[in-house]
Amino acid sequence: MLVLGIDTSGYANAIGVVDGERVLADFTFQTRNESLARIMLNIDSVLGENSLSLEDIGGFGVGLGPGSWTGIRIGVTVGKMLAYCTGRPAKGISTLEALAFGAGDCQRLICAVVDAGARETIYAAFYRGGNNGLRQVGDYYVGDVAGLAGLVKEPLTLVAADAQKYRNALGQVLKSDNIEAMEAAPGGAAVASLAATRLQNGEHDDTLALAPLYLKESTARAFVNKYKRRAQASASG
Amino acid sequence: MLVLGIETSCDETSAALVADGRAVLSNIIANQLDLHRKYGGVVPEIAARRHTELIGYVINEALDAGGKSLPDVEAVAVTARQGLVGSLLVGVAAAKTLSYALRVPLVGVHHIEGHIFANLLSNPEMPLPHVCLTVSGGHTWLVYVRDHCRYDLLGGTVDDAAGEAFDKIAKFLDLGFPGGPVIDRLATEGNRKAFAFPRPLLKAKSLYFSFSGLKTAIINAFKHRLASGEQLPLEDIAASFQEAVVDVLVAKTVRAAKEHGVSAVSVTGGVSANRRLREAFVAAGNSAGIRVYFPSLSLCTDNAAMIAAAGHARLKRGYADDLSLDVIPNVPLEVQHAG
Repeated sequence: MLVLGIDTSGYANAIGVVDGERVLADFTFQTRNESLARIMLNIDSVLGENSLSLEDIGGFGVGLGPGSWTGIRIGVTVGKMLAYCTGRPAKGISTLEALAFGAGDCQRLICAVVDAGARETIYAAFYRGGNNGLRQVGDYYVGDVAGLAGLVKEPLTLVAADAQKYRNALGQVLKSDNIEAMEAAPGGAAVASLAATRLQNGEHDDTLALAPLYLKESTARAFVNKYKRRAQASASG
Repeated sequence: MLVLGIETSCDETSAALVADGRAVLSNIIANQLDLHRKYGGVVPEIAARRHTELIGYVINEALDAGGKSLPDVEAVAVTARQGLVGSLLVGVAAAKTLSYALRVPLVGVHHIEGHIFANLLSNPEMPLPHVCLTVSGGHTWLVYVRDHCRYDLLGGTVDDAAGEAFDKIAKFLDLGFPGGPVIDRLATEGNRKAFAFPRPLLKAKSLYFSFSGLKTAIINAFKHRLASGEQLPLEDIAASFQEAVVDVLVAKTVRAAKEHGVSAVSVTGGVSANRRLREAFVAAGNSAGIRVYFPSLSLCTDNAAMIAAAGHARLKRGYADDLSLDVIPNVPLEVQHAG
């Protein structure tokens, strides 16, 4: 089955097509502020260059983030509407998992990191490879690099767009150089491959319910919730 | 031509099916008021998140309610200009995907052009040219409508939109959000002449509005009494504030109609549901020999049927967009004289 993968959680349109385990196309278009303007044209060109049309696609992989909130919404909306219009199944894929997928069948613990774009905050998750594919270890992490270091108990491979920077920062905190850095961006083919495996196992998402993985609440809501918690704390204290 | 309309410019997720620019087969509107109420206004990030969750369901519901399926759709129209950027973007992403996958034309619509068509949908007999006042929580615009898709911008607000002033006064008086309906309701019990609030720019020659000073005047007049816990005459404040806004809106719109020699005026947008505004417009119209038209209540607030109707008119005039369509959050209504 041909699967089209899309991830727009960074400032790029990452678009890939896989046929089972074979990667037919894997393009990352740097779009900056033109992600919305370019997305359909980029999808069309990726399909066209492979002499494919939308009708040839049997399923969709949709990068859910975390990453740029505005960016993710473009890819998630396009992905869900493509699946809706074609009647083909879709599977949402964490952008962090797509990053970790790039580390291949690495024997070490894999830590995928995405910049949250504000105040030194990062999104991260740990994965282990293996015969049955990637397995997430523990919850998603949102916080600073020092906090992430507190979760690291063993040598690991760090996968991120600026992995070297995070490796240095982690290394300083941990006083360890047992961290490998792998520079990578979330790819469309990685999203497609992960989705293809799941779709073939009959795991698909409710297309219309596909929603981004933000990992952080909006600032307004966070502010109100913080205020509420403080009020509750002072009431109970 | 069956047009699927999509509107996500602010906090309403809407999709509609309109046949031939006239017959509304469905008009699904999911509003998010409950999510924004506690903040006293629309929070852009919360609105954009909700649009992303709802957009597919709302489009699917519009097709179901209209008794149609995807292959029946012959064009997709979407609000692409004027609104919250993160909100607009969700509707445009969905519309572009539909246009690409269904291989049907795509057309981006300016939100205010949609409101102009809300009236034409409700009142097909409405003459052209006419003057249209669009008043809502986000907009206050006076437009000379020469013909479909041919407009002259006559005036707008230099600061707050009229509906925004309602929201801010309601927030100040702790009446909740949105402010329009609650002030409308309270005002029916109050005296419109209890307080002589300013009528900003009423005497000015321009057709521009300003509501920020009116809001500040009211806040300054009552903030100390409010802080000291005094019971304020809310009904009288609501009625007097509403009257000040209505006076300016009616006077400038009627003057615009006279200056342009038109015998018809349309009033659209969420604030056009205000009962006192409707009453005052009809009275002023009667004495000036001007017929005043309002959309049906379901087309007053943001909705996709008006976008589908406007999109249909644009497509008929050859204003289709390609798949590079992008959003523009703040741009004046296109003035198009060609054609």
